Amino acid sequence: MNTQELYVTADLAHIQLTEEEISRLALQVEQMVAYFSKMSEFDVSGLEPTTHMQVSRSRARVDERRDIPGAHSDTLLDAAEELEDRFIVIPNVL
Amino acid sequence: MLTFWKNVLENSPDAYEKAVRARDARIGSFLEFNPTRHLGNAPGEVASAEKHAVLAGLPFGVKDNIAVDGFRLSCGSRILENFNSPYHATAVQRLIDAGAVPVGKTNLDEFGMGSSTDNSALGSTTNPWNEDYVVGGSSGGSAAAVAAGLVPFALGSDTGGSVRQPASFCGVYGLKPTYGTVSRFGLVAYASSLDVIGAISTDLDVLQAVYEVISGADPFDQTSMDPVPSASHDADAAGVASLGYRGKSPCLGVLKPEQLELSAEVAETYQTCLEGFRSLGYEVKEVSLSMLEYVAPVYYTIATAEASANLARYNGVRYGLRPDYAENPEELVRLSRDQGFGAEVKLRILLGTYVLRSGFQDQYYLRAQKIRTAIRTDFEASFGEVDMILTPTFPRQAFRHGGEDMSPFEQKQADKFTASANLAGIPALSFPAGVPKGLPVGMQLLAPAFGEPRLLAAARDYATLYKPELAPGYERPAGEQ
Amino acid sequence: MYQSFIGLEIHIQLATQTKIFCGCKAAFGDEPNSNICPVCMGYPGVLPVLNQEAMRMAYVVARTLNCTLSPRSVFERKNYFYPDLPKNYQISQYEHPLGRDGFVDIEFHKKKRRVRIHEVHLEEDAGKMIHAGDMSLLDYNRAGTPLLEIVTEPDLEVGEEAEVLLQQFRRMVRYLGVCDGNMEEGSMRCDANVSVNLSGGGLGNKVEIKNLNSSRFVRKALNFEISRQKDILERGGTVVQETRLWNENRDVSEPMRTKESAHDYRYFPEPDLPPFITDDAFLLEVEKGLVELPAARRTRFIDEYGLSELQAEFLIDERSTAEFFEHTIALGADPQSAASWLASDVKKLLNRRGESIESSVLNPERFAELLRLLDEGRIHGKIAKQVLEEVFVSDASPAAIIKAKGWEQITDPAELSEYIDAVLKANPNAVEQVRAGDAKPVGFLVGQVMKATSGRAEPQLLQELISSRLAVKVIHVLSFGGAISGVRREDGLIGPGELFDLRTEFAGDTGLPAELRLEEIQLGAFLSEEIAPADWAVLISEIARRIEDSEAAGIVVAHGTDTLSYTASLLYWFFGKARIPIVLTASSVPNDSERGSAKPRSEAVANISAAVKRAASGAPGVGVVYGAQEFAPLNLKFERVEEGAARAGVFRTWNEIGGDSNPAHLPAPIYPAAGVEPTDRKAVQTALENAMSRCFIVKAFPGMRGDHLITLMKNGVRYFVLELYDTGTASVRETPYSLRAALQYGAANGVSFFCTSQQEAMVDFADYVTSHELWREGAIPMGRLTTESAFTRLIVAQLGSEDELEVQRIMEDQ
Repeated sequence: MNTQELYVTADLAHIQLTEEEISRLALQVEQMVAYFSKMSEFDVSGLEPTTHMQVSRSRARVDERRDIPGAHSDTLLDAAEELEDRFIVIPNVL
Repeated sequence: MLTFWKNVLENSPDAYEKAVRARDARIGSFLEFNPTRHLGNAPGEVASAEKHAVLAGLPFGVKDNIAVDGFRLSCGSRILENFNSPYHATAVQRLIDAGAVPVGKTNLDEFGMGSSTDNSALGSTTNPWNEDYVVGGSSGGSAAAVAAGLVPFALGSDTGGSVRQPASFCGVYGLKPTYGTVSRFGLVAYASSLDVIGAISTDLDVLQAVYEVISGADPFDQTSMDPVPSASHDADAAGVASLGYRGKSPCLGVLKPEQLELSAEVAETYQTCLEGFRSLGYEVKEVSLSMLEYVAPVYYTIATAEASANLARYNGVRYGLRPDYAENPEELVRLSRDQGFGAEVKLRILLGTYVLRSGFQDQYYLRAQKIRTAIRTDFEASFGEVDMILTPTFPRQAFRHGGEDMSPFEQKQADKFTASANLAGIPALSFPAGVPKGLPVGMQLLAPAFGEPRLLAAARDYATLYKPELAPGYERPAGEQ
Repeated sequence: MYQSFIGLEIHIQLATQTKIFCGCKAAFGDEPNSNICPVCMGYPGVLPVLNQEAMRMAYVVARTLNCTLSPRSVFERKNYFYPDLPKNYQISQYEHPLGRDGFVDIEFHKKKRRVRIHEVHLEEDAGKMIHAGDMSLLDYNRAGTPLLEIVTEPDLEVGEEAEVLLQQFRRMVRYLGVCDGNMEEGSMRCDANVSVNLSGGGLGNKVEIKNLNSSRFVRKALNFEISRQKDILERGGTVVQETRLWNENRDVSEPMRTKESAHDYRYFPEPDLPPFITDDAFLLEVEKGLVELPAARRTRFIDEYGLSELQAEFLIDERSTAEFFEHTIALGADPQSAASWLASDVKKLLNRRGESIESSVLNPERFAELLRLLDEGRIHGKIAKQVLEEVFVSDASPAAIIKAKGWEQITDPAELSEYIDAVLKANPNAVEQVRAGDAKPVGFLVGQVMKATSGRAEPQLLQELISSRLAVKVIHVLSFGGAISGVRREDGLIGPGELFDLRTEFAGDTGLPAELRLEEIQLGAFLSEEIAPADWAVLISEIARRIEDSEAAGIVVAHGTDTLSYTASLLYWFFGKARIPIVLTASSVPNDSERGSAKPRSEAVANISAAVKRAASGAPGVGVVYGAQEFAPLNLKFERVEEGAARAGVFRTWNEIGGDSNPAHLPAPIYPAAGVEPTDRKAVQTALENAMSRCFIVKAFPGMRGDHLITLMKNGVRYFVLELYDTGTASVRETPYSLRAALQYGAANGVSFFCTSQQEAMVDFADYVTSHELWREGAIPMGRLTTESAFTRLIVAQLGSEDELEVQRIMEDQ
């Protein structure tokens, strides 16, 4: 992965990287990506991907109110940095 | 010892707290410790409490990526440093219902990403056997707390070996259950298709009780399920060696040690261990596990991919670290994540994002998922021939802080024995097998899905040959007079 | 020539009790951040758990859209950062959506089209971000609401079709009970993609349009976008593939600022949710959720109950109304009267009270009872309206109300005869006058009986009893001007005048029944070319009053020839269902005959005579008699022919509907759907004047300038009747002499163009490129209707309509 790709990737991941971080991470990323390339040696034809461990049955939830004990909305709002009339506030682009 | 633990919170909570704090000042296993916070919580249904009476009253530690209402849930990360959990993880709730008492949150590699616990942003934990060495990771705090006699058991999480590897480094038992048998509700996700909550203890009875209490389907986790009982599992429950198995001796699969790139101490212990099992009446048979060399690349591809999405929610908007000033939402998010995440987390997010990008996804992520299928098939084939597989937990003993004798990259490559169980979704147990040159070595037993009873029985068998011990200086539980 | 392609992405919030992946209440309008929990807030450690009801609803929609249902549908993570998206990924579907390859049929301006459904997939909605100055406010109540996305293929061509599809879709989801379809509140939303290319060139560069928050915006935005892209192509440019936002304040689309890399969603299967496998029990639940859809129900209502399209359309619009109607029918009510009461008085009352039919105190039982009382003659129409209002006020059954109020009608002939006897006895002079041949006092006598019974006499019965007691049949001849009642002046010109004295003129006419009593009423003295809205208002209110008051057994309208085709169709749209005959007639010349002379009877006298006979014996409803011939009131054309040295007026029916003049084959009249009380002359006049000031008739001709029509639109014209060539052609070239600019301006401003033919042709925009272009620009084909009939229909349609769409709907329902 070149530096350009690293920047694009960091942008997608919404991580702000300094020059110093980029140069340090670039090596490690490079090393790991090269390591991943080992997978290309293996013939995967005819193999289905494993996306889930168990697919034996579909359990779903009935459409009824259900609370998580202790997690009242007011408690959750307490965790937010800035509130205004129960809205969570973030800066806006003017 | 168990009698002490069952009564310590009731009889002498202050002495206990004092002793733990004193000991933990040296090893740093807890990020938060408060033995009385959840004391007096009414235990749950009587049936559960009676059935698992062994757990009643026991204090336990919880890895700080598992939610305990009233404690923080930091994940060892700056981004959640001051985040309080508003709810209990299902596993924790079930233990509380059984009468056990969560006393604190243990240190970990940030979001479970690491093999040393040195990747915690909030504290450093050291190996009770030797302070120059790491405790392993990512559930290092839990392993250290158990090994140092601070708690009789602790919960950890295991995505690629995070329960078993520190258990191995600390000379204690570490169980990684079958994927899905323990609800992940309340476990902060690292890699959702690999994560499972496991337990660490010095006592197999406690370990088994914990597993029985925390396992089972949970309406808050759609991937959770009840362990599937079967005829062979019934035999498991009665013990392996004593009864014989399917009318013959239990069969243990072993690997050719020369291919495994083990340290001399680990190689030697592995040899001793398989000889020991043979002496107990186990048939020992060589298996190839040809897919082993792909385990680490496949594991890191899938784990980082899932992590990149799982960690996207930490953006400083609804909770967690927020920069002092940001001009716009975009900057707010980027600064939060830049300031909040450590280097290893950033590395893995970048890797995971990269392997999912269009144009790269087929080559990396999709290919890894397909090879994962081959790895599962490989195990299935082996379990057609053997009942369990014995491997070392980690190719070497604990390494030194700072990674001077084992680089982060080497640490990742070394996850192949443990991570294979996560990729295949099967249960695995690391058990203490020796302490060459003053540092513990753990061996790992792998079984087919829902084979936890089999693993525990085999470990019990082996305990008749090798009795694990607590770290020197910590032989008695904290607070015991 | 350009071709346009439109595909839609429709999002609907499913009306589940709880959110899709957690047990929080799914509701609109609650206090900010009150319906939140760790799951929908993206807290650390929590997991999604699928709401089975959301899945069921989703499959019901997919099944209704004729999709192939996936036996195994998989959720995936769609990764992108946005502050209103708590996890910064959206759980959605990608590789294995729950439904694929469906279709839905729509119809716009008579053109049917099958729109293919590419896929249907389920996902979670995001929260809401409100911008307020230098800060943004976040509310996560909406986050995690189940959101179903329906993606169509680019099979639509114009914005109007998209609007039709959306309206149909809205109705469908309301019928299925899976969504309220409220675009304003955002429970139904729409994005679109538009591409334009040279005909035959396939799809062009695709532009995505977002923020289409009402079906009207959809039409506007898409038509704007099509012409924007066309302009670019015409100038030789290339359309940039991009996403644009519709700015509803400025009526333009604007490019959306996005970063290029933001579009790699990195989909991968959601590990927290196992694939959803449909089993038999689940599929059975899905089948149980299917309902008769609006379109099928409309067809059935027409076939089964003999309703007009418009009636059926009204009834099926809301499932609750349709079910109310069917429930009422099941209780024995007549479908026709149930339908017309529901569409007129019931609707009016509900609107006025701001109630919906399912929540009002009027239930099908009460409604059926009201209709039964009406049908059995225990009350008459006027009283029935009062009873209906009273049901709403006093929450009682109609029978109870009638009893309590003493409103029961007198239907017993013996009882009514007693009142009549008393009145006749008390008014011997009037009776004498009638016997002597004067019709006038009949009305007076009827009025007296009504007064004596406090309005409770059954009108039809009263009419019959009085007629038979006096042995008379009263025909009112309304003289409305025209040459038939005109005079030839000394200079030889024909001018307006008063109708000749019928009794004198008819004396000795053995063809007329003896009991006939004619009353002449002069409504106007002008030539028919001078008719103004006020005159029509007088005519309409006078006829309406007579129908209601039972004064006459029939009505003859003496009219001029020039505008007869307008008045005849106008009266038909109003009174086509009247219970007495209303016969129009005319003459091109006045009655020149010397009174009492032996000369052959003039055209005027002959036509009136024929009309009177028709009114005395003919079928109820509106008819036209001219030159010993009977005509249907629609599609009349007045033609002049030379007959030797003399000139004569001739009528002919264009595009004869149904092949004869049988009113059963004509398009249904549209009153009483109209909202104006026809006996109220002032109200009718105001309504007509308003309606006519918004209408204009334009005949296409070579070199007609489209911009002149724009001038008319700027002056308040909202509706055109466009008389085109043949089956609906006109110039659409890019010249000033083209209709295109006018149509486009009209479409952008909500102006409608109803198209008729200059020839005797049926307008359906079928065969020609120019016709198709006119259709694309929104022109509405009027089928068989002539300009005159279409025009008067347009006038009446406006009287009862709330908006332009409703007018369009009435105009298209023939």
